[in-house]
Amino acid sequence: METAAIQTYGLTRRFGALTAVEDVTLSVAPGQFFGFLGPNGAGKSTTIKMLTGLLEPTSGTMAILGQPFSAGALDLKRQIGVVPEGMALLGRLTATEYLHFVGRMYGLDRETTNRRTQELLEFMQLANETKKLVTDFSHGMQKKLALAAAVIHGPKVLFLDEPFEGVDAIAAGMLKTMLTGMINRGATIFLTTHVLEIVERLCSHVAIISKGRLVANGSIEDLRAGVASTLPGAEQEQRLTMEEIFLAIVGAGGQQEQAQELTWLT
Amino acid sequence: MADLGGAGLSPLGEAAGIHAGGVLGSLARAQYAALARLRWRMFQNSLRSSKGALELGARTVSYVIYCVGGLGIGTGAGFATYALASGHQWRFLPILFWVLAFLWQVIPIMLASFQEQFDLGILLRFPVRFGSYLLLYLVFGLVDISTILGGLCCLGIWVGMAFARPDLLLWTTLALAVFAAFNILLVRAIFAWIERWLAQRRTREILGAVFMVALLSMQLLNPALRQKRHSGRGDHQQDLQQMQEMKSRYGPWLHRAKAVQMWLPPGLAAESLQQAAKHQPAPGLGALGVLGLYGLLAGGVLAVRLKAEYRGENLGVAPSRGNAAPGRSRAAVGARDAAPAGGQMLGGSGPIAAIIEKDIRALMRTLPLLYAIGGPLVMVLVFASIFRRNGGMQGTGFPLALPVCMVYAQLGFTSVFYNSLGTEGAGIQVYFLSPTPFRTVMLAKNLLHAFLFGLVALVAVTMTLMRLGIPDMAVVAATVAWLLFSLPCNLTAGNLFSLKMPYRMNPGRITRQRGSQANALLSLLAQVCILAVGAAVFALGWFLDRMWLAAPVFLILAVGAVYVWRRVMDNVDAIAYERRDALIATLMKEG
Repeated sequence: METAAIQTYGLTRRFGALTAVEDVTLSVAPGQFFGFLGPNGAGKSTTIKMLTGLLEPTSGTMAILGQPFSAGALDLKRQIGVVPEGMALLGRLTATEYLHFVGRMYGLDRETTNRRTQELLEFMQLANETKKLVTDFSHGMQKKLALAAAVIHGPKVLFLDEPFEGVDAIAAGMLKTMLTGMINRGATIFLTTHVLEIVERLCSHVAIISKGRLVANGSIEDLRAGVASTLPGAEQEQRLTMEEIFLAIVGAGGQQEQAQELTWLT
Repeated sequence: MADLGGAGLSPLGEAAGIHAGGVLGSLARAQYAALARLRWRMFQNSLRSSKGALELGARTVSYVIYCVGGLGIGTGAGFATYALASGHQWRFLPILFWVLAFLWQVIPIMLASFQEQFDLGILLRFPVRFGSYLLLYLVFGLVDISTILGGLCCLGIWVGMAFARPDLLLWTTLALAVFAAFNILLVRAIFAWIERWLAQRRTREILGAVFMVALLSMQLLNPALRQKRHSGRGDHQQDLQQMQEMKSRYGPWLHRAKAVQMWLPPGLAAESLQQAAKHQPAPGLGALGVLGLYGLLAGGVLAVRLKAEYRGENLGVAPSRGNAAPGRSRAAVGARDAAPAGGQMLGGSGPIAAIIEKDIRALMRTLPLLYAIGGPLVMVLVFASIFRRNGGMQGTGFPLALPVCMVYAQLGFTSVFYNSLGTEGAGIQVYFLSPTPFRTVMLAKNLLHAFLFGLVALVAVTMTLMRLGIPDMAVVAATVAWLLFSLPCNLTAGNLFSLKMPYRMNPGRITRQRGSQANALLSLLAQVCILAVGAAVFALGWFLDRMWLAAPVFLILAVGAVYVWRRVMDNVDAIAYERRDALIATLMKEG
């Protein structure tokens, strides 16, 4: 049996009385593009933080590439790339300086770091911005830089928390190509995003978390079939979009009706 | 600001209010009320956590200390005023006002890192008039340290005058009010412009060069102004002769200086009181009027700066000349940046070298830290000059001037040592995500800070020795040994504070930091403890008349301090991982 790239058992995180993530058990196979979806505040970022060592779970276990993972698992961290929620950028550095720094923090030698920095800056179309401080970058540029930093050491497992937020269509297309290329070369990608069209296009498997609990997990086709089976006979024949699947599973129809009641909005 | 609707203004009424009302119009008043409510809610919410309660305690203690200090200085000023006014020594009154003005302007420089202010930048997204923005900026400034101390000094002068010359009370009130307003506006204008200039790399370099030239000039002037040192003590005749020489040499200069100072704000404030005491209201009012004009000028200078901020200027924006030139090809940019010299400072390639390089770059672009490190050097020069006037370290002067100057140089590193992660912001996550142990991160920071401190200490020693001459070798040895003891002590305490009580530092500002008062106060307390140990050892050597004893005692203490530092370093990973959630949340907190 193939070892899972990411495996969690009963992952739980509590903040005082609030349970942000409860009993999440999932498995992501190597080479899989995995979408992790959920409404705002569902626990997506908390889960990613636990999976990357930024947050200690209250209970449960995790394994990355078949090895138990904790914040102190330094060798495993070399195999992981992350675009975290806050992007982890250092505002007072230039893009070049930042990538140099990150590369060396991951143990790359100078020569490799320099070469990859140049390649990544060219690829991300940031090569003309080498004198600008990161703090002066637009949000989209910062996202691209954060993604460059996440992959500079050639990780086998990549965690991306909202990587496409604020990125323009051209750059988004470019990033999709890069991520697909990584998958083709055997990497595993764990992605959270609110852009369901991207999930539909890129991901083979999806898990949906709501109010801290995993409410769906499987291939997109399995989820589609599952949701369709609950629909009346005629509608079962329609091919459901990812948005329809998501709304059906999370059950957010009522909020759309509420929005229509704000009649004072011009 | 969503509360504004609740204040009774419809969306359309709000828009109309922008045009109809002034800084005290209905919209503005509703905004002030909303802001006051916001501050109150923020205060209440901050008390929900134990950290917030600790902050409140620290803030209370800080303000009590400032008020006690201010009352002390104010009482002194009151007695001095009483003595001068009742003795009709009006010609010395300007000195009092000059001292007050000096304190008012210098205290913020000395205590910038301990002050926290509300950043009004958050208001810019709302329909706030510039007048309201300026007014709020001034109102929030009323609770800073310099205003508290300056205000209490003014109160002291007022009370002194009330006892000595009750008939001048109205004049005194008016003169002090205008003088205080001038000082408040001036100190804020100075800081606002310094921040503006230092925010840009080019102007920072120019100001740095000016600063260095000024320091060197003082040193070059030193030999020219240096008097002949007299070898023996108690040569009274020679002293009198020297005083006469000085009087004849500098007398005309002093007269000119006196004439000039009368047209400057402290002189004008004193002049108005002096004229009132002579029952000459017209010249007194004239002096007050000119003082008021100075106030308006300072206010205007401040308003120009704030207007730019109000228009949305971001001090963090790098100068346009720093950006890649439009005509340069991407290949050219790439080739230049690919060159090893473009991105490398240190020879090593490991994480320690990477962190040190990164921190040096960040330091050069982080205004508060540059200011905190460089500012005390000016004070070292001032102290050295004071000690020199009292005879230097040789002969009749204070023999411990060197360690005292070193202590002050070290104080500049408080925020560097005790909040070493403060400038990381969201970048703190890199340390937790990467396969680098946190111990390595803190080790790299400690190495850099030790090196920087060594550099600053060297500059401070050079300045002190040039001003005061070479002291007794036992004192030099003891000072060096004390530094070897205090450095690991500060690094140890600093590492613990940085991990357990960090706060996010805004790299683009000297003032208006949302700092941690608890960190500031407790780090000061830690510094005081370290200094107390040093003072005790020096005092022991002094009283036993065996100053040579201090150096070995400090060296033994230094060995202990290094041991404790190592023990703490061994536990750094455990502390960091245990606190990573709070650490990341605190350092990523915006605004």
